[in-house]
Amino acid sequence: MRKFWTLYSKEMLESLRSYRLVWIPVVFIILGIMQPLTTYYLPDILKASGDMPPGMLEGYEMPGAAAVMAQALGQYGTIGMLVLALAAMNSLAGERSSGSAELLMVKPIAPAVIIFAKWAAHLTVLFIALGLGAAAAGYYTVQLMGSLSVSDCLAAAGLYSLWLLSAVSLTLLFSAFMRGPAAAFLALLSAAGMSLLYSLLPSDFDWLPAALPDLSAGQLTEGSVAWFGPVLSAVLLILACIAGASMLMGRNKLPD
Amino acid sequence: MTLLEVTGLSKSYGKQRSVDNISFVIEAGQCVALLGPNGAGKTTTLRMLAGLLPPSAGQISFNGSLPGTDYRKELGYLPQSPAMYRWMSGLEYVVFAAKLSGIPSREAAKVSAAALERVGLAAAGRRRIGGYSGGMKQRLGLAQALVHRPKLLLLDEPVSALDPIGRREVMELLREIRGETTVIFSTHVLHDAEEICDNVILMNQGTIAVQGELSELRQQYSLPVIRLSVETGSAAAGWLESLALKPFIQASQISGGKAVFNVADVALARRAILQEAVGLNIPLLHFEAGSSTLEDLFMKVVGS
Repeated sequence: MRKFWTLYSKEMLESLRSYRLVWIPVVFIILGIMQPLTTYYLPDILKASGDMPPGMLEGYEMPGAAAVMAQALGQYGTIGMLVLALAAMNSLAGERSSGSAELLMVKPIAPAVIIFAKWAAHLTVLFIALGLGAAAAGYYTVQLMGSLSVSDCLAAAGLYSLWLLSAVSLTLLFSAFMRGPAAAFLALLSAAGMSLLYSLLPSDFDWLPAALPDLSAGQLTEGSVAWFGPVLSAVLLILACIAGASMLMGRNKLPD
Repeated sequence: MTLLEVTGLSKSYGKQRSVDNISFVIEAGQCVALLGPNGAGKTTTLRMLAGLLPPSAGQISFNGSLPGTDYRKELGYLPQSPAMYRWMSGLEYVVFAAKLSGIPSREAAKVSAAALERVGLAAAGRRRIGGYSGGMKQRLGLAQALVHRPKLLLLDEPVSALDPIGRREVMELLREIRGETTVIFSTHVLHDAEEICDNVILMNQGTIAVQGELSELRQQYSLPVIRLSVETGSAAAGWLESLALKPFIQASQISGGKAVFNVADVALARRAILQEAVGLNIPLLHFEAGSSTLEDLFMKVVGS
């Protein structure tokens, strides 16, 4: 346990010194506030661009606060996930190729502890980024559109973070035996694959973690959702990723 | 007391045998040099001893325990090019290594400061590792390998990549350290091994060519030799060739004005050669009568 804390604080210190703990939350905050702002000011933006046929904007209806908040969280599914995967891709691959894993693995620690500490550090960064991003999005939505249920927002952000965490865990798994960029690519590809399956056959694959973004939006607009299947499959996927990464790390610890 | 017993250790990658059935015993307190040319299997052997590579065959028994017991707690390891986190300070890294070896936080801070002091990095402890020189990094690597007072220290080419000053610093440190713990270090430079070790294991192509105490090896493999060099471009080169045919010379190596002769009787050969040199007015530059060094043994083993 003490060794876990040692490794975890090392990971957090690295996140801080490499400014990962700063720029990822900043990206998330910007992504989060863009949605309510652009939605609210869309008529003005269009007007300012000129050449608007008269009557065009009459049909524009301001969406509800819950819908805007759901769209704001939806922003994290693409750029947010890309940013997280890019930040996580070298966490094992980099240590291995630079040779610092060699120095680490010669200490009396189980590979699982190393992986778990890394995973926990990525989880922390993800929580901070998504927490701040969702809070900023929520603040602007409430200011510009109307009131939101705090508990629904928390539940929606929680469901979304589980989906993002699945992608980060996949990156970690691939990073245990591949080069960093390949790991990020494969992790994003598998996340995209799951999303595609879910969007093509929603009724057959509504238990996939890829259903989580929809659930998160549903939580905001409808108030309650059947979350059990996707949450369970996401948790299992994450556990499998950690276990797999630990096994592979034990085998691939020397620089290639 | 036997600290490490290795029996029939092998490592193969596909068909290629990187380490082929080596066995040796290391007593507590010894300083052993793992000597051999590049590609002899030194790094692979050290990595297997450090538990980083699973052996294909063979057993490693540490301190009398059953083979397969995890002894990493008692191990200090310094790889060939230690990659320590550039964004950490030297002190932070050593504290990190100490804690991972199981030392409680408060004590870790104390022993780490002592370890840095020991390797002469006390003043640079607060600086980032990214700004360290090669010699400083190697000394920091020694500090992190020593901080938990390991029973066995494994060093992979600790001085090969350093400039003469850095090399000197690390060699001095090793000389001190070898009195405190058991050290195995690999090198391809015989001179380094002779300088600080009393035992050598000479490896070539994955097998152990020769092993034993340095002094014994020196005696066993020493042959009476005469080395001489003459000014080049003179008639002396021809004279060296003619010397090689003398009856008292058993074997000879001649190249570019330099010659090494293995002789049966040093006293006789010395007198005969010097007399001839004076008589023929040979421009001698260097003359040495003595025994062959380990260098010759090394070359002979590696060359064959």
